[in-house]
Amino acid sequence: MLMCRDLARIASDYIDGELGPMDTVSVKMHLLMCGHCRTFIGNLRHSVDLMKAHSSQHVDEELVRRIDERVTESLNARNSDNGKSY
Amino acid sequence: METATHQSDEELLIQGLKSGNEADFRKAVRVYTPGMMAVARYYLDNSTAEEAVQDCWVTVIDAIQNFEGRSGLKTWLHRIVANRSKNHLRKAKREVSADFSETLDPELANRFRPNGRWATPPSLRFDEDAESLMENGALSDCLDQHLATLPETQRSALMLYEAHQHKSNDVCNILDVSASNLRVLLHRARQKIFIMVEKFQETGEC
Ligand SMILES: [Zn+2]
Repeated sequence: MLMCRDLARIASDYIDGELGPMDTVSVKMHLLMCGHCRTFIGNLRHSVDLMKAHSSQHVDEELVRRIDERVTESLNARNSDNGKSY
Repeated sequence: METATHQSDEELLIQGLKSGNEADFRKAVRVYTPGMMAVARYYLDNSTAEEAVQDCWVTVIDAIQNFEGRSGLKTWLHRIVANRSKNHLRKAKREVSADFSETLDPELANRFRPNGRWATPPSLRFDEDAESLMENGALSDCLDQHLATLPETQRSALMLYEAHQHKSNDVCNILDVSASNLRVLLHRARQKIFIMVEKFQETGEC
């Protein structure tokens, strides 16, 4: 018998469809009988959606500025090298 | 048609990078640096990771000439960062340490009775959809705050899988973890986010 704690252990695998067929059936049976676990799975799924929507992983402007500078420097160095070789 | 436009967007960008177009480099740096940092932070501390990502961009200027587009640009860049970061680690004779032994977050584990049933079940259903929830700046900040406190290994796995939408075997490759260990990292990170959102919804506080 799958208990709530067992279900909590494999909940991500269930959400991602990574469980084997037997385990998937056990989880589905448990969810039919257990409202708490239905809420848990729903909320965990919701947390996943939140992470996906949270693509605002704010760009570190300072780092981007430093990289832009170095890239520009290297591009210029390369262009002037190419110029010499002609 | 959708995908066709997307493809040509990336192809145009790659062409621009190959011809050394500065504007295209700026665009690419802005788009791809956050994901590259997620990769580097798996292996390295923050300042070493920043250096590694900067160095990568400089090598990309030449390396892009050999890019054949078999993988997407993102995956290609992430692999370059991963290799460079792994070299760093090797030279420093260090290893990534992560705990793969327990799949349940300790805080969540405490919410079950000894018989395995819930003692403190989830109290309410998160029912607002994710997009409108993220318009709540406070929740977004709270999420950032909690992401920052996750172990680097969990955070990187979560970012690459969820936010950058890599497939599992790409993430395994880039982070050098087995499929089952990736599952542990992901699940541990998701439980933390779950606990955070639950508290936020109950109390309105982070
Ligand atoms: Zn249950």
